[in-house]
Amino acid sequence: MLSEILDFLGSLHPLIVHLPIGIILLTIAIDVFMRNKNNSIQRVITMGWFFSFFSGLLAVLFGWFLGDNGYYLESQITIHRWSGVALVGVFFIIWILRYLNFRFSRSTNRSINMTAIFLLLVTGHYGGEMTHGQNYLFENLPYVKKKISVMSISEVKRSETDSIFVYEDLVYPVFEEKCMACHNQNQTYGGLNMSSFESIVKGGKSGAGIQKGSPFESLVYKRVSFPQNHPKFMPPTGVPLSYDQIAILEWWIDNGAERQMPVTLARKEPKIQRLMELQYGLDLREKSYLETLKLRTLSQNDLKALEDERYIWRFINPEESFLDVKFTAKKIQTPDLLNIQKVKENVTWLNLTDCMLNDDHLNYLSAFPNLTRLKIQRNQSVTDSGIEALKELKNLNELNLYGTRISDAAFISLGKIKSLKKLFVWNTLVTPGGIQSFIEQHPEVEVIGGL
Amino acid sequence: MHCNNHHHQENKNYSRRDFLTKTSLGLGALSIGSLISPVNAYGKSEFLNLLDSEKMKLPHFIPKAKRVIYLFQSGAPSQLDLFDYKPKLNEMFGKEVPKSIIGEQRLTGMSSGQNSFPMAGTLFQFKQHGQSGASMSELMPYTSKIADDLCFIKSMYTDAINHDPAMTMIQTGSELPGRPSIGSWLSYGLGTDNKNLPEFVVLVTKGKNGQPLYSRLWGNGFLPSQYQGVQFRSGKDAVLYLDNPPGVTSGIREEQLKSLKKLQNIQHADIGDPEILTKISNYEMAFRMQTSVPEVMDISDEPDYIFDLYGEDSKNPGTFAANCLLARKLAEKDVKFIQLYHRGWDQHGNLPRDIKTQAKETDQATAALIQDLKQRGLLEDTLVIWGGEFGRTNYSQGMLKPDNYGRDHHPRCFTIFMAGAGVKKGVTIGATDDFGYNITERPVHIHDFQATLMHLLGIDHEKLTFKFQGRRYRLTDVHGKLVNEVLA
Repeated sequence: MLSEILDFLGSLHPLIVHLPIGIILLTIAIDVFMRNKNNSIQRVITMGWFFSFFSGLLAVLFGWFLGDNGYYLESQITIHRWSGVALVGVFFIIWILRYLNFRFSRSTNRSINMTAIFLLLVTGHYGGEMTHGQNYLFENLPYVKKKISVMSISEVKRSETDSIFVYEDLVYPVFEEKCMACHNQNQTYGGLNMSSFESIVKGGKSGAGIQKGSPFESLVYKRVSFPQNHPKFMPPTGVPLSYDQIAILEWWIDNGAERQMPVTLARKEPKIQRLMELQYGLDLREKSYLETLKLRTLSQNDLKALEDERYIWRFINPEESFLDVKFTAKKIQTPDLLNIQKVKENVTWLNLTDCMLNDDHLNYLSAFPNLTRLKIQRNQSVTDSGIEALKELKNLNELNLYGTRISDAAFISLGKIKSLKKLFVWNTLVTPGGIQSFIEQHPEVEVIGGL
Repeated sequence: MHCNNHHHQENKNYSRRDFLTKTSLGLGALSIGSLISPVNAYGKSEFLNLLDSEKMKLPHFIPKAKRVIYLFQSGAPSQLDLFDYKPKLNEMFGKEVPKSIIGEQRLTGMSSGQNSFPMAGTLFQFKQHGQSGASMSELMPYTSKIADDLCFIKSMYTDAINHDPAMTMIQTGSELPGRPSIGSWLSYGLGTDNKNLPEFVVLVTKGKNGQPLYSRLWGNGFLPSQYQGVQFRSGKDAVLYLDNPPGVTSGIREEQLKSLKKLQNIQHADIGDPEILTKISNYEMAFRMQTSVPEVMDISDEPDYIFDLYGEDSKNPGTFAANCLLARKLAEKDVKFIQLYHRGWDQHGNLPRDIKTQAKETDQATAALIQDLKQRGLLEDTLVIWGGEFGRTNYSQGMLKPDNYGRDHHPRCFTIFMAGAGVKKGVTIGATDDFGYNITERPVHIHDFQATLMHLLGIDHEKLTFKFQGRRYRLTDVHGKLVNEVLA
């Protein structure tokens, strides 16, 4: 809070610094021209107005030249220019009238002073906006909402990175903030209208705005990435685009500048991914099936099925809906599996290692819709025919079959589990050739068949 | 059985002091809670959760790892001779370390008096290995073969400059003794997956000299004592005093424990000290361990090719290799935190000679453990960590000779590696300067490492707390930031 106020006062420096310049010059002028002449205070005031007029006239003249060289936009200058001219006009009238010894009434005098101060404020403020950027005066004040593009991505959207598009959510908001004031349907400076995707691509008088695939031939990218003192640098006033905004723009054009390009494409580019993480709070890491799944919380009643001492189970999520279940006794029987079936929606990880599981038992496992990890290793009675039942498991990622008696024939059923990512077949009857041909058909599956 | 039950239960049983503090603070807080937000006063408001973090639902998110095997290399292995290749040091062998590199660094009393700090390039050959091109020296021929399964952090740093505080720091999150170790926090937070074995087991390589190990490194600190690590020794009695004395049968022992439990329950009903319950559960655990421990320690069933994989040493109980094999067996039994210690890396002098021995003792078994876990599918949910408490200097402690040097303690940078559940494979995170003295990229503090470890187990390190002496503590205390780059 305090530092924000100090920042605000700091931003007033360029304004305040003008005061001593003028006052010192005026004081010296009074000292030089009016000393020893027994001048009345009225003459001092008249001379003050003359100096105001004279220096104001110079400022108007020079300002006019500055405004004409094309650095500034007509819309930004107009108010500053004409209020400046009006101000000098007022100075001139006051000075002439005083010079002619015209006597003002008190109230007229007051309103003339007020008019001069008002015009001075208007001229000064709009001049400041031109050199320091719009909103320069208030942006440092506490409680003033800062304009940062991070805000443009809502919390909800941020959690579903699949629905965020580079152009719509990251690039366009920047254009809107930095370029649209001058490049829109009504004002098309340089013939460029940035209000729609098509017109941005089309560009303006100087050429195409975007050359898909080549950022360095895209004028939109070139102009914002010029050195800031380059005459064609954009935006000509205000805060330039930040490093990350330019980097994302470049990456987007480089990758084809498609309107519907998803941000998840950044996964291929660690630098851009990291940048999006830092600047926009986007977590682009690939989500597993479980991270996107929502299930109802299990009640105590549901959990009665697992009350038996031989099950060890725990929730793996704070919502208490995903179960990790392990059977710990030496021999499993059908009623044990029927028990687990009672919570089949919720069982996500299941461990039936070394418990004399057989092919018949596996039939009871086919109806677990959310099972992602299944460990049935070291069960000597599990063979190829039992594995067939597992092909119904729609979301199985990881299947551990080491130490079972499956052979190459099992790969036919295993190939039907579309979600499979990892398969453990060490110490079974499968052959290296069998593994090889399975991997060729299913390159997305990592098969670990021993060392 | 619900695995988290026991520490919940324990909180339902208060000692007199507990009762007084809980009721006064608790009720007071409740009323504040209802003032702030009347709707939430009795619901699951965050406010109350903060007051009673034990009731927080764990895990905080879906875990990647279910257990950890921490191969702790005590004494601090030289990163410059094993992982962090600095050809500049060989180029400038014997020249003084530039002043600008050391800066205002505080050196240990062992080398701060030296007139000269000659740079000591490694005497060992480095090569890049695997698809990832991780650089490792010839000292680790086996581990370098599995480089593509590993995640190196070359930019670890710590606050402490000497062994005891540095080990205490990396194991408990504080340089001062008295905090619970990582394994105790996990055991307290996540509970057990195997009722017959402790959640936290410690294996120490026998017959090694060097910096002392203290049982407080696997101590429970201020957590209830059932969460402390249990050391399994090599040889006849894996756990001391576990076996029945001659003439006492298992049946007699069971009867005896039952009677004892009755008495203890009476005492607990009378004075309500939660430590009595801990005592009861310790007795019960010990009774179950009478059968489970000999079973898990028995390696006679292991086929020869497994012994070949871990190396000749693995048949000799108490060696690092044998402990690695045991670690795998304990992981198979779902022990949550398996802590190995291997001492002897503190090479202030004669480093080239001594580090060879150390590397030979650990290299093959480390690689074997990771491979063995992998083929069994255990690497999917087991996190393996290899590393010491700090690094070693780039200059020689004592006289630098063309074929001999020593290295002093160096907290500013060191290398560790991880493998397994939820960790990126074949990557190197962070970097040090050309002199191997300062970190130039992605510094990772001990607390960041601990936060990442907790994260992999499904715990938000900022949320697992325990109130002690008037304030809430956590493993990372008020520090620690997740190292995202590690996560797969």
